[in-house]
Amino acid sequence: MSAEHLHDLTLTVNGVPHPVSVPARRLLSDALRHDIGLTGTHVGCEHGVCGCCTVLLDGQPVRSCLMFAVSARGHEITTVEGLAGPGGELNAVQRAFQECHGLQCGFCTPGFLMTVTALLAENPSPTEDEVVEGISGNLCRCTGYQNIVASVHRAAALMTDGAGEPRP
Amino acid sequence: MSDAMSRPGTLVGQRVLRVNDGKLLTGAGTFVDDLHLPGTLHAVVLRSPIAHGRLVAFDAAEALTMPGVVDVLAPEEARDATRPLRCVWLMPGQGQVDYPVVPRVVRHVGQALGVLLATSVAAAEDGAERVRMEFEELPCVVDVEAALGDAAPQLDPGCPGNVAVDLPRGDPPDAVEAAIARADHVVAMRFAIQRLAGSPLEARGVVASWSPATGELTMWSSTQVPHHARDHLAGALGLALDRVRVVAPDVGGGFGPKDHLYADEVLVCLAAMRARVPVKWIEDRREAFTATVHGREQIHEARLAFDDDGRFVALHSDVLADLGAHPSNVGAGPAFVATGMLEGPYRFDSSGGRVRGVLTNKTPAGAYRGFGMQQAAWVRERLVDEAARTLGADPAELRRRNMIRADELPYTTHTHQNYDSGDYAAALERATELVGEGLPAAPDDGRRRGVGLCSYVEFTGLGPSAVQEIVGFALGGYETAVVRVEPDGRATVLTGVSPHGQGLETSLAQLAADALGLPITDVRVVHGDTATAPYSAAGTIASRSMTVGGGAVVRAAGRLRVKILDLAGHLLEAAPGDLEIIQGVVQVRGSPTAAVPLRTVAEKAWLAWGLPPGMAPGLEEKDLHDPQDISYSYATHAAAVAVDLATGRIEIERYVVVHDCGVIVNPMIVDGQTHGGVAQGIGNALLETLVYDDVGQPRIATFHDYVLPGTGEVPDMVVEHTQTPSPFIPGGMKGMGEGGTIAPAAAIGNALANAVPEIAHLVTETPMTPARVWGWLDAAGVATDW
Ligand code: FES
Ligand code: FES
Repeated sequence: MSAEHLHDLTLTVNGVPHPVSVPARRLLSDALRHDIGLTGTHVGCEHGVCGCCTVLLDGQPVRSCLMFAVSARGHEITTVEGLAGPGGELNAVQRAFQECHGLQCGFCTPGFLMTVTALLAENPSPTEDEVVEGISGNLCRCTGYQNIVASVHRAAALMTDGAGEPRP
Repeated sequence: MSDAMSRPGTLVGQRVLRVNDGKLLTGAGTFVDDLHLPGTLHAVVLRSPIAHGRLVAFDAAEALTMPGVVDVLAPEEARDATRPLRCVWLMPGQGQVDYPVVPRVVRHVGQALGVLLATSVAAAEDGAERVRMEFEELPCVVDVEAALGDAAPQLDPGCPGNVAVDLPRGDPPDAVEAAIARADHVVAMRFAIQRLAGSPLEARGVVASWSPATGELTMWSSTQVPHHARDHLAGALGLALDRVRVVAPDVGGGFGPKDHLYADEVLVCLAAMRARVPVKWIEDRREAFTATVHGREQIHEARLAFDDDGRFVALHSDVLADLGAHPSNVGAGPAFVATGMLEGPYRFDSSGGRVRGVLTNKTPAGAYRGFGMQQAAWVRERLVDEAARTLGADPAELRRRNMIRADELPYTTHTHQNYDSGDYAAALERATELVGEGLPAAPDDGRRRGVGLCSYVEFTGLGPSAVQEIVGFALGGYETAVVRVEPDGRATVLTGVSPHGQGLETSLAQLAADALGLPITDVRVVHGDTATAPYSAAGTIASRSMTVGGGAVVRAAGRLRVKILDLAGHLLEAAPGDLEIIQGVVQVRGSPTAAVPLRTVAEKAWLAWGLPPGMAPGLEEKDLHDPQDISYSYATHAAAVAVDLATGRIEIERYVVVHDCGVIVNPMIVDGQTHGGVAQGIGNALLETLVYDDVGQPRIATFHDYVLPGTGEVPDMVVEHTQTPSPFIPGGMKGMGEGGTIAPAAAIGNALANAVPEIAHLVTETPMTPARVWGWLDAAGVATDW
């Protein structure tokens, strides 16, 4: 590995600064999972299609498998580990996915939770079409999406009731 | 009826939220790539870049000089250190019964040849690029019909003509032919079902760790079948079973392809034994398309014979199954099941088929959700609709007329399926009714609209072992459960089945909680580790976990309940028959003051003081449940579609499922499984296909090329159930993991043919992509201009 130049930088993930030392080609997904140890962000294709690796960069969903870790310097990254409250209480989106059985194997789930968190932050009461469109960039092989769509509506309702805000 | 159903139950049938969601929702799940053992090296499996050829040179010298590269396990070394992997399902006369971990002659692109280890994934990938392999290329054959030709290259000396299996099915051929000849009409069609990739979003992966001190090998693997994998791993490496442990951590979907041990996994373990440090290998998506078994590909030459009055007389299909490079663990099994379940819910005077399993230079074909029953449904249900068209009959009415009636069950088919219980026509009736409801008046948008049906019967709950012995499927068909009330009054269920999304952690707990009178939060299901789980030969495959595994839990928990009541009766000086257990308290029925907490009963039992004479210590029961017979679920699906005559695009406007899987333990989970199955069936119907060029190179490498259904392709569906208990399974459950996948292609194909009858005779192939459908429309002269 001596041949590869390492870059020292700090990645801010879920509000916590993490110093890392990575080669320029290190994917953000790999840096999160393997350098920082936040393995909740999953990798299903590594070519930008499945959405399993979705994280928020300054609140916007991005595919961490399509981004280099070095490019994330100076940005606020949010991963699935950052969604629950300080005492571990599930946020509205997480609760909705459980209540509506929006997950089976759970492999795609972190990506959906991040996508939906961003979607609802931007549009707190999406229509059916807006939900379907909003999650159309994420694949799930288990659920057939019906319960995921229901989960998004449920999350919107929970948030409107003030029962929980999507963090951040 | 069974133990569980005769007892007061509160959780079976309830929409109980899943107990294991919390970790999956917070990123705290542990999938195999989430494991980090100190000192882990990363493996790349070295693979064949060609479809057929002899490896003549292998040189890793340059790779070994690359930064971070630690070791290369060469093909010769791997061959010397391993024994071939056995095919698990052997058909009579099968020409190839095992396959080497590393072959001398490669037979498909992606076949494993060796392993390279490095200190990081990136270093391993860089190093692998410097490994030089030279091949003497051999001519290859990609098409299954070409493989039967005289001029075709021969892939295996045991399989002359490339035929690995050739079997008659059902009635003797003469009898079927005679029946067909007697009938007034015959519809004969050739059907082709494409090659698919099961594509769990978590691909396969392994972490292997060898302890030289104890001689123990541990493999964490993304598998559906920890014990099965352990048995084959020990066999391939020549290790004693007690020295091999396999752990399935959280597993990101399976759908069939993770139902056995692969050569890759043996190689990674071998590399870890040599390196004496843990080794991790995570299959990437491109690799998954060639290294993980495919599913489905079959050609059926099929005939349905019927009389003027619509009575079905005979059914026959001659099946070519493209097995790929060698018979996989299940070989021609899916074609065997396709012919076995071809008759579906109908009566015939005679029925039969022929199964040929043929080798080609493609990735081996193995298990994929539906396992032949999707092909059976596509073939039969398309023929039924074409018969209706011939007669000018209503397709629903023709089905109804020929369906096995509820009062005819149990019923034995020509392929020896003993259909157990149900009312097939009721599901048809209800689906037909529901599909019309709520359909908006068709807008005048120039598209054609149609409705299609698919009725099927599904073989579930693999077991009994005796049936598996008859068909040569070398896996015990039983399941084991250990149910224990711990000294603190909480219950532990140990199961041999190995969930990977099905929610068995919850539904098995519901069964035990009801029997023991505990809340769901007091029951924990433990699974997935051969060091702790009871032996399970077959694991979580074939819609068997709730039937065979659940039946074991019902029986073990039922016996434990009896012991609890006996001991509590002793303590309370009451007759055990007068006791009940409510929320963890054993009490005299109707007199809650005479009560003892289950925890106290458990303390006494584990302390073994003051037990009634003859009672053994402890509160633990174990049950090996080998089911009495197969359970048959069934359904009718109905699809309403709109077809764009200018683009060939099919839009599903309504989708209805009316389903019976016996007693439903958790309706939320059952609906979820059905939705997911239908979505995969829609992928099968409209989108997914694996394509090879004529030198055996895959044209599919990414999810850009292999299109999984997304939110836009899967409509909201209406799912209804009836519940006819299985007469054979304690608890009355029938299997349902695969069901949703079986019917969509046929229902959608029938809807397409109904919408555009001009192309009905052409609707024989899947996927029905816009390009293919447009070709049919154009051939029939009905394609319109934009
Ligand atoms: S892993 Fe990033 S999109 Fe699939
Ligand atoms: S829950 Fe398994 S992929 Fe979505």
